[in-house]
Amino acid sequence: MGRIVVCIKGVPKPGTVKVDKETHTLRRESAELILNPPDRSALEVALRLKDQANFEVIAISMGPPNMVPVLQKVYALGVDDIYLISDKAFAGSDTLATSRILARALSLLSPFDLVIMGARSIDGETGQVPPETASLLNLPSITYVKELRFVDGKFIAIREDDFGEEEIEFPSPAVVSITPEIDYVRPPSLKRLLSLKDVNPKVLTNAELNLDEADIGLSGSPTQVADVFEKTLVSRGEIFEGEPDELAEKLIEILKEKGFLA
Amino acid sequence: MAEYIFAFGQCFEGKLHPASLEILTPLREVADRLNKRVILIGLADDKEKFLAIPELKKLLADEVWYIIHPNLKHLPDDLCERVLVYLAREHKPYGIFFPATKKGLSVAPRVAGSLKTGLCAHVNAFEIKDGNLFLLRPTYGENIIAKLISLTLPIMATLALNAFPIKEAEKEPLIKEIKLPEDFDWSTKLTIKNFKPAKKEPSRLSVAKVVVAGGMGLKSKENFQMLFELGKILNAEIGGTRPAVHAGWVEADRMIGVSGVSVRPKLYLAFGISGAIQHTVGMEGSEFIVSINIDKEAPMMKMAHVGFVCDAPSFLKALLRKLKAKD
Amino acid sequence: MLIEFPLKEEHKIMIELIKEIGETYIKPYSLEWDEKEAYDPTPIKALAQADLFGLIIPKEYGGLGFGTFEMCLAVEWLSYFCAGVSTTYAASFLGAYPIILFGSKDQKERYLPSIAKGEKLCAFALTEPQAGSDAFAIKTTAKKDGDFYILNGIKQWITNGGIADIYIVIALTDPAKGARGASAFIVEKGDPGFVVGKKEKKLGLRASVTTDLIFNDCRIPRERLIAKEGMGFMVALKTLDYARCGAGAQALGIAQAALEVSLKHAKTRVQFGQPVYQFQAVSHTFAEMAMRLSSARALVYSVCQYIDSGAKDFSGASAMAKCFATDQAMWITERAIQMMGGYGYMRDYPVQKFFRDAKCLQIYEGTNEIQRNIIARELAKWIKV
Repeated sequence: MGRIVVCIKGVPKPGTVKVDKETHTLRRESAELILNPPDRSALEVALRLKDQANFEVIAISMGPPNMVPVLQKVYALGVDDIYLISDKAFAGSDTLATSRILARALSLLSPFDLVIMGARSIDGETGQVPPETASLLNLPSITYVKELRFVDGKFIAIREDDFGEEEIEFPSPAVVSITPEIDYVRPPSLKRLLSLKDVNPKVLTNAELNLDEADIGLSGSPTQVADVFEKTLVSRGEIFEGEPDELAEKLIEILKEKGFLA
Repeated sequence: MAEYIFAFGQCFEGKLHPASLEILTPLREVADRLNKRVILIGLADDKEKFLAIPELKKLLADEVWYIIHPNLKHLPDDLCERVLVYLAREHKPYGIFFPATKKGLSVAPRVAGSLKTGLCAHVNAFEIKDGNLFLLRPTYGENIIAKLISLTLPIMATLALNAFPIKEAEKEPLIKEIKLPEDFDWSTKLTIKNFKPAKKEPSRLSVAKVVVAGGMGLKSKENFQMLFELGKILNAEIGGTRPAVHAGWVEADRMIGVSGVSVRPKLYLAFGISGAIQHTVGMEGSEFIVSINIDKEAPMMKMAHVGFVCDAPSFLKALLRKLKAKD
Repeated sequence: MLIEFPLKEEHKIMIELIKEIGETYIKPYSLEWDEKEAYDPTPIKALAQADLFGLIIPKEYGGLGFGTFEMCLAVEWLSYFCAGVSTTYAASFLGAYPIILFGSKDQKERYLPSIAKGEKLCAFALTEPQAGSDAFAIKTTAKKDGDFYILNGIKQWITNGGIADIYIVIALTDPAKGARGASAFIVEKGDPGFVVGKKEKKLGLRASVTTDLIFNDCRIPRERLIAKEGMGFMVALKTLDYARCGAGAQALGIAQAALEVSLKHAKTRVQFGQPVYQFQAVSHTFAEMAMRLSSARALVYSVCQYIDSGAKDFSGASAMAKCFATDQAMWITERAIQMMGGYGYMRDYPVQKFFRDAKCLQIYEGTNEIQRNIIARELAKWIKV
């Protein structure tokens, strides 16, 4: 029986997050978190491998304590174990610091066959953590995978690259990131939902990970936000108000003037 | 030392990805301001095919360094990382920049991880102040731009697609082959078992001259579908915002925005689109923007050259009725 | 609605789960399935992965060991999203009940675990072309032949025909004995001599599959007999007693959906300068709908509680729940179409589907005329003169 570790992320429910005025980073502890949607596909891929070949599936997440309900719901989907990687010292980590933290946590959970993550998060949208973490662990990474097969003990990934579709065979252990366009994701299990309040994630703090303070959190993040500003938009054109009919007529007039309509 | 700015030249089968040419435009400006040299790094499997790349002599770099090895044919991520890290350690560049193509987004983080340096994603503008380079990108689902700085060298970033125009150089770059040491490890753990080349034309949406796009202001899938009728009449391609894609109103490959398609059409018609930053970065380069929105203050209304304050479905129905009557 | 039943935490969790399944796997597709008369296995797969096929299967066989109350909650909420899907789901329980109630330990161990996991769907086959309400008029025979039984005959209009793996078939082992000569058998997909007929074209419940079953010297091992020879109708009727509430629950879900859609419409549709809900002809109709739906709901769930409390004799009670709720659903869906006017009649809108789906509920699992027979019979037993 092999082991698959799925790294998931909690993202703020749209409209509930505040930006820290000093550090310009997200105040995740105060937001309501939901599972990063692409990670649902990542979990589904892992669980299908569990159905097919009896892999043990562990879900881990780096985040603040309000991540626990999200991890519990992930447990309800059918994973074998859930871990929360949490420490005040981790707050404000950019992708390098985050990758260091995940890489250390993964090494504590080794040996494993695969690490699976969603290709990107809907808040940061960088997609950097899977390959960066792989590099720190000296493992191959295969990104934007749309289908993962396990055939005769070997892993094969189908992915869409810039010039065409690739079928890649790779050895384990490896890191795979999954694109969210998957055809079907399973619902949670009622049996697990009914016993959820007794299920708690194991917690790993920096005491267990033992990372240098200089490598984590804000101090471990080489990319910093110097400033944020709202995109100031000054109305640059004409605004028309009125009934749909007359406005539509006006648009047709303008399009004709500009040569977009005969 | 730190006088080079590396740009990743993504090539395949004798073709250079246009995004690699796009990124040279802002890098050229940065290099001129900070007195650096722009080096396009090309990794390929066939020397002849590489040297036959048509854009090679007119691209905006000072030099083109190319490295040839059969294992580089499909640009396996682990091998590309090893080659680029070797070059970075040898030449200690000021910055290493990649286009935000799938390849760029996959290789850049591996390089940054190895070099233990910062990496910014989807940068669409640079700013230089007091000799410092700032990288700008839209962020956090709010309508804000973040100005990032890297505390480490080399400064690394992936540059947003379609954010910069391709420009040609007056002077031909110096083109030279770089040979790596005899004992360089050319192995890769990734084996390509099968490869199906993409269809010849790039996404029609990304090169369309007229784009008609819809957002949640259209209120339903049925209303959204009317855009396709309008598209036929105007000979336009159809796009949608991320929420519209998520609602199942339109396919994902028609999503315009930061993780979708970028468009630079002559005419952009936005129906019921508020103008969240993740969308507008995908179309702000449009020549003439028309917005139809019930909210006068919506960001898209401010960005538009012409705005109509109106309920999008009603406007669309009236527009279609009138256009069909004229036939 | 206007009354909220206090529900236990576990019921709330289950309903939340079914709503999530409904929104994700059913709602975006139900009108399309109805239009195309297509069976889609995806929501069934989702229900299986969510453990919902194990709702009433005893815990020792991998189920949740819940009762009729929970089964009806699940069926009601599924029906709210699509009665075609809930029919596939509920009919599978109809086929599982004989094994749960009368199966031997061997049969339970052999079949219940995969039923609980939703790996195998069930079907219940009693009706024949000449035996509908007159169930005792069945002619399918099961002749003993050494260690086997040989089945010959046709079953008509069987829900889940072709998609089920396990079929409970009521056949005559001793035709001379009439009703006492029937026995219940487990027939499996793939048994020699068993084929499924063509898929029927229906007025409603079009996402569910209805076919004939044809037995042509179908040979099954004798271990497939449930209980004893001669107990066939006992097994059938007891099964129907348990399952009847499920049909009532389907009616509740359909009626709830119809009420909500038509009410929303009535509040926004402006005619003569005001929302049509302001006209008493309309608002009074909704008041009537609310009363009928609430009383149907109260009846169905109080019968569920009665059954789950261990009642021995509940044929009359479950017949009342089924008959009343399904009749109310028919009334409510018809009025819902009327309250929506033209919009109610157009197939781009769901209300007409609710109306067509509701109609079958008055007919299957014993027509409402037969239900009234049962109620009257039980009522007569209750008063001694």
